[in-house]
Amino acid sequence: MNQILLITDGHSNVGESPVLAASRALAQDIIVNVIGVVDEGEAGRIGAEEIESIARAGGGMSRIVEPHMLTQTVQMMTQQTVVGTIRMTVNKELRSLLGVESVAELPPPKRAEVVRMMEELSETTRLRVALLIDASASMRPKLAAVEEAIRDLALSLQSRQGESAVAVFHFPGEDPHVPCVLDLPWTDRVDGLGKLFRNIRMQGTTPTGPALQRVVEYFRETCGNIKGKTEYSLPPLRRDEPDVMESGDVG
Amino acid sequence: MSDKRPAGPDRLPLKPGMLLKGKWNGNVYRLERPLGAGSNGQVWLASRGGAPCALKLGLDAADLQGETNVLASLERGDRNRPSFLLDADDARLGGRDVPFYAMRYVPGMPVRKFVGRYGPGAVATAGGHLLDRLVELHEAGWVFGDLKCDNVLVAPGGQVTLVDYGGATRIGRSVRQFTEIYDRGYWRAGNRTADPAYDWFSAAVLWIHALDGERLMRLTRSLPPQHRHPRELMRLVRTHPHLKAMEIWMRMALEGRFGSTREASRRWKECAAGLGGGVPDGIPAWMAGMVAVTLALAAVAAALWFAR
Repeated sequence: MNQILLITDGHSNVGESPVLAASRALAQDIIVNVIGVVDEGEAGRIGAEEIESIARAGGGMSRIVEPHMLTQTVQMMTQQTVVGTIRMTVNKELRSLLGVESVAELPPPKRAEVVRMMEELSETTRLRVALLIDASASMRPKLAAVEEAIRDLALSLQSRQGESAVAVFHFPGEDPHVPCVLDLPWTDRVDGLGKLFRNIRMQGTTPTGPALQRVVEYFRETCGNIKGKTEYSLPPLRRDEPDVMESGDVG
Repeated sequence: MSDKRPAGPDRLPLKPGMLLKGKWNGNVYRLERPLGAGSNGQVWLASRGGAPCALKLGLDAADLQGETNVLASLERGDRNRPSFLLDADDARLGGRDVPFYAMRYVPGMPVRKFVGRYGPGAVATAGGHLLDRLVELHEAGWVFGDLKCDNVLVAPGGQVTLVDYGGATRIGRSVRQFTEIYDRGYWRAGNRTADPAYDWFSAAVLWIHALDGERLMRLTRSLPPQHRHPRELMRLVRTHPHLKAMEIWMRMALEGRFGSTREASRRWKECAAGLGGGVPDGIPAWMAGMVAVTLALAAVAAALWFAR
């Protein structure tokens, strides 16, 4: 399962639309979540609409938070995206096998079994999260909070049973042709996670769209052709199990 | 996944006196009064055929089922204890199915209220009971995860009940739900893979929070993330009149150095003898006070009697 988490505090102003880039990511099975970071008491000053549309196009969720809430928000989003994706997959399976809309419609004993299976999948499925950090001038004072949130996320991923990794990019690059810079390639360790954003020099643009596009390419280069590979599959759920339907005994 | 996340639990239209009927098992419950609200549901005192029980109602069937699964698997381990999980079902409410489960109702109060009422000395007993609960859980293969003051109910005699199993995690998996200041990852003291030591750490923070909450909160607000470390917590312990007595236990808990939760429990009972100056088991501070007052009154009465 692949996710991009975009952390930004402003509007994109150059290159292709970030909404379009996010929908391309989703088309490759990469879910895009977006966090807008604002200074205390300045919630109105951010492009809430853009943030929402990027997340919607990327199949993910968006939140606007103050820096002290970043760590919790990053955790929550990543985890809910995993759980949500597994649920969607399982519900789809339930629909086709048992003709029910979701796990909530199953009788309690069956529900217990399916939920156990969903938890198992959430814990063990392979998970990659690429963080894309807006490092423009106005974000500078917030980068310490961003680094802490990344460290904390890496710690949680490292604690999972399944294979997990994070990568970190910031944008823009120094050169107009480089929309974003890789700060940390895929890793599953937090121990070596020192200061991430040291000597950031960049031009004054915010190429959110091209940066997203570049991260999608990175997924493709490092993870092969990710589209179509089912990393989580269900153990067989049979239609004819006697305890599935409440009044299933016809004979 | 533009998934609709479940609406907040406060959106459940519940009122005292309301009757809920289970869709699958058919039991009828009468809601008496709310006991609390967690991250994913509400807990109510209810009655079924006149007998009290606690109902947890949520909006998300899978979430609630996860908790029910933990409770059910704990019961399987021990048939001698009275059943904690009584029922799990859905109720039709305002045009939708609301999942719920029924638990045995155990009266008690959250830890901080307990300490406020019975004094720091009463922590000796409650702390021992808390560790006994953890022994049961750990030996059944689970870690509680989200151990904190609000999730621990203490009866006046010091008996402890754990509530809200939303964070309960199989040993070896990543902890499902936690609260920052109780989390050893937050204090840079380890990862979030569920092992018994994860709960020992939270238990240590819990008693610091219960006895020295103000300084703990001030510390977490002022400390930059890179300086978070168990030694900061130990600094609070060493300079607190009551926690000081628990210094050795606290250090071992924060550093995960017990051999087992049974050992943690045994060591607690040894250390806690020095806590709060001899309030005996089960007699809360205020009651000890009342005894003193009563004796004084009796002495005065006796004096008056003899003076006649």
